[in-house]
Amino acid sequence: MKEPPNLLIVDDSTAIRKILIRVLNQTNLALGEVLEAGDGKEALNILEGRHISLVLSDINMPNMDGIELLRTLRASPQWHDLPVVLITTEGGQARVQEAVELGATSYVRKPFSADQLRDKLAALLSK
Amino acid sequence: MTAESTAMPLQAERMAEMLFAATQELFTSMLGTEVRLVAAPEEEPHDPFDGILSLIGFTGKVIGNGEIICTAGTACDLSSRFLMAEFQHVDEQVLDAVGEITNMIVGGFKNRLEAHVGRLQMSIPTVVHGKNISARNLKADVAVTLLCAYADGEIQLKLGLAASRD
Repeated sequence: MKEPPNLLIVDDSTAIRKILIRVLNQTNLALGEVLEAGDGKEALNILEGRHISLVLSDINMPNMDGIELLRTLRASPQWHDLPVVLITTEGGQARVQEAVELGATSYVRKPFSADQLRDKLAALLSK
Repeated sequence: MTAESTAMPLQAERMAEMLFAATQELFTSMLGTEVRLVAAPEEEPHDPFDGILSLIGFTGKVIGNGEIICTAGTACDLSSRFLMAEFQHVDEQVLDAVGEITNMIVGGFKNRLEAHVGRLQMSIPTVVHGKNISARNLKADVAVTLLCAYADGEIQLKLGLAASRD
């Protein structure tokens, strides 16, 4: 039987991590573990030891930001195809384009409504 | 609302509109309530206050910062709405939530401003909680103060911006 997907939330704000976990819990999707990291470096450490099916990442973070994390993942044969959704206040069209060109699977701009985020995650996880 | 401006690509009134639009967006989508503008004092009050000051800096063609000021009670109420949990006292979670609310409001303003001045960078939020807090914006070309009210409280929003000299 197929294992339920593990998700990784990467954000330096514990408030946003809590909100994302709540939204994920409200989906009717069968999820495995939801793991948390405070920046890109922590995320890479978790990815080294766990099988993750989807990453939700902020862009602006200390130590390693979301763009650098995305670059690192896309340059790695192991994580080249790992779905990465960027969740950020950065809403300018140029920034969206940059994220897409780097290989972001999708992009959610903060502030977001729970319904909007739930629909997007449900669509991605059901693929 | 109070606003002063010189030597900037946009008038302070337009920036105040953009700041309020970003505030409305956050309140409607993530706090589940409406927010409205109320009349701010004509004279900028410089008296020390008790409560929360949350600020974020900008760099780029425009430099400066955006701030949110509110009481501890309002910070707890906003955090309760944001995280859907009850907060009675200011703690790490409340400070984190207020920082993130500031990030989204000031970030929303920055996204609107970028359409006029090009790409801007934003710092991470700094949140101060205490008594007798006193803050000043020095050398700002544009100073905007908005007082916003929602069902259970008020917040003050401030911008202190200047054209970059580089």
